[in-house]
Amino acid sequence: MRTRPPVPIGNCLTGLIALCALSFHANAGPDNDTLVVALSKPLTTVDRLYSIQREGLILSRLTDDGLFFVDPESLEFVPLAASSYEWVSDTELEITLREGVVFHDGSPLTAEDVIYTFEWVINEESDTSRGPVIRSWLDSVEKLGPRKVRFNLKLPYPMALRDMAISIPLRKQGTYEDAEDDAEAQPLNGIGPYRVSAFRAGREIVLERFEGYYQTSPKANPAIRNMIFRVIPDQGTQQAELLSGGIDIMMDVPPDVADNVSHLPGVKRLEGNDIRIGYITLDAAGEANPDSPFVNRKVRQAINHAINREEITRYLVRGSAEVVHFACHPRQFGCSADGPRYPYNPQKARQLLAEAGYPDGFSFKLWAYREKIIAEAVVSNLNAIGLDVDLRFVKLNVFSKVRNSKDMQAFFASYGSGGTADASASTGVHFAANSARNYSGDEALAATVSSAEQTIDSDERKRLYRKALNRIAEQAYWVPMFSYSQNFLLTPGLEFSVPKDGVPRFWQASWRQ
Amino acid sequence: MLNYVLRRGFMALLVALTVSFATFSLFHFATDPAQTIAGEDAPQEMVDDIREQYGFDRPVLVQYGDWLGGVFDGDFGKSYFWKQPVVDLIQEHAGVTILLALSSLLVTILIALPLGISAALRPNSWVDRFALSTAVSAQAIPNFWLGLMVIILFAVTFPIFPVSGDATWKHYVLPSLVLGASSVPAVMRLTRTGLLDVLSSDYIRTARAKGFMGYRLILQQAMRNALLPIVSVLAVQLGNKLGGSVVTESVFSMNGLGRLAVESIFNSDIPTVQSLILIFVLTFVLLTLAADLINAWLDPRIRMG
Repeated sequence: MRTRPPVPIGNCLTGLIALCALSFHANAGPDNDTLVVALSKPLTTVDRLYSIQREGLILSRLTDDGLFFVDPESLEFVPLAASSYEWVSDTELEITLREGVVFHDGSPLTAEDVIYTFEWVINEESDTSRGPVIRSWLDSVEKLGPRKVRFNLKLPYPMALRDMAISIPLRKQGTYEDAEDDAEAQPLNGIGPYRVSAFRAGREIVLERFEGYYQTSPKANPAIRNMIFRVIPDQGTQQAELLSGGIDIMMDVPPDVADNVSHLPGVKRLEGNDIRIGYITLDAAGEANPDSPFVNRKVRQAINHAINREEITRYLVRGSAEVVHFACHPRQFGCSADGPRYPYNPQKARQLLAEAGYPDGFSFKLWAYREKIIAEAVVSNLNAIGLDVDLRFVKLNVFSKVRNSKDMQAFFASYGSGGTADASASTGVHFAANSARNYSGDEALAATVSSAEQTIDSDERKRLYRKALNRIAEQAYWVPMFSYSQNFLLTPGLEFSVPKDGVPRFWQASWRQ
Repeated sequence: MLNYVLRRGFMALLVALTVSFATFSLFHFATDPAQTIAGEDAPQEMVDDIREQYGFDRPVLVQYGDWLGGVFDGDFGKSYFWKQPVVDLIQEHAGVTILLALSSLLVTILIALPLGISAALRPNSWVDRFALSTAVSAQAIPNFWLGLMVIILFAVTFPIFPVSGDATWKHYVLPSLVLGASSVPAVMRLTRTGLLDVLSSDYIRTARAKGFMGYRLILQQAMRNALLPIVSVLAVQLGNKLGGSVVTESVFSMNGLGRLAVESIFNSDIPTVQSLILIFVLTFVLLTLAADLINAWLDPRIRMG
């Protein structure tokens, strides 16, 4: 009988493990010049015209250019695919295009492409996500020359440049002609410094540097050749991927996670102030209940004095977060006011409550959907002045429903202004007459905000926003709380700047030499 | 038998429709799908436009009737979030979940059956105690924690397997282990109890007398009867894994139906949630039915009524 020598099972297992280890290798890092970024949420399309997600904006800054862009340092809107612009009148904006701008398919950018893009967006049948906003101010676009167009506005609208910079990437004429009802699924043909080489919805987006990108662009010559955006919803898994070399950078890292992970070898932490602000809205108009105590200004002022924003900011939000005193981020254009501030003073809060007729306090529900620990700190502060607060902590979609139904007496929320460094994106959005977020019921304030949004003159806009912000502070419609800090965890070999507007620009990233 | 199948099928449909209407109503009463689709920072114009575009301003019953009518015509609708037909979306994601469920069930069988058999053959010995403590541990450890621990051990400290994803067979090893471990206690204990019962029965004594010993006695004679309750439990466990792999899929970043369900819920993607619920309910009912039929096949007494 033939026999064969026994193979030790341990050797077999070791061999199998080694085989697995050898055949698996991370594809992130400088060795193959590929930056791998973790996304917490899936992206459903790579076309910014059909995406409302923040991830879409981050990607769009790589694959697309608009006529303008947000300068990373000044956060002002400056020409990008446009070489120059001029407000001919309050409702006429003339724009000249740069020379040498080409789409990823090699065709040049023309005035016809610009007209096509904007006419597509304002066409109701296109169903773009930005259509309703752009239709509210844009009447038509006309050609003045091979590289010159004029935008005819329905009304004076200074934020047209913002919309052109953030919301409307340029498209080749005829891009959506054969799309029927599936326009967002068209292959992307942009003019950005990277082009999409593969897109698997919900899984990953692969980009490669576009070598035909116009050299006159402020975004020209990005350092990294390839980028991969991988969807990894779980923060713990993202950390493991970072430690194992599967990704190069994590975004939106909570401060406590950043504290714990940043000391590990092979991990670098970047931190900076975000344009996002946290605030509490009080139902001054009595929308949820006409007899609400919050209809009384003294009660709202008492709430403002009762909350210890300094300590909440320092110990709970942490990092470079700062206390904010008005209904906007100090980095935003127009966010300058001299109205009343409300330092932490529980004694004064109790006194104001007594003067308002509530010496024994009252009960109400405080709604929140994020940062429960902060909401609980607020509840604790309010309990200390004798208020009985029922914290309703819910998911965002539930929160939105109740808030939009005007059924909240008070809510803690945050707002990132879509990365726009202009008070119109915060003050304007929250106090406009038609805003579901507006619980002030103040028509004069809404009119001021509306005027500011329809004024081209910068000084006049600043004056109007100051007037609005002072009014909000005097009436204590809000409890402005703090600006957030943003944390990134990355591999030490990566150079990256913390974005001042909270929207990362990966075209600025490079490998450390 | 046909009557039985028809009755079970009708009950399944009734359960699915009830759950589906309850979910639909809850979504509409508790959330604002237009705001969710538009995004947290969306301006009011965009939210209003979406509300009109998707018909959220119509009565809930009308919206549900529209959706249900479509389902009966074989049209499950289009996802609000992914902007794709729901059927395509489910087809894209089902493969990952089915493969994960089957491989984790295999892990369960490979661990639980040998442990259960060993424990039954040597009751109250150290083997029995080891099997019991393994079962208790597997029951006590939450999936997300075990998932992160195996990632740290086998993907970070010893980079043998990838941390996350679903592209290759190696991506399935750790998630299958984690998902499979959660079913080990039930199957192991049932195997032990069932086998102990069978081993003390008369026909086993007869089989021993006829000379059946060792693995022939256990596998050919005893296990056939001991398998009956295990098959039912495995069918239920498979249903659990098909519909309940949410945590494992999220931790390992796998694009299966569980993760699709979670994302759809968070994004108020009602057509997708509705369709997934229908599928999950029907899967459970069909698997339970399949278990009954397999039991009938294994046990002539059930076949004979």
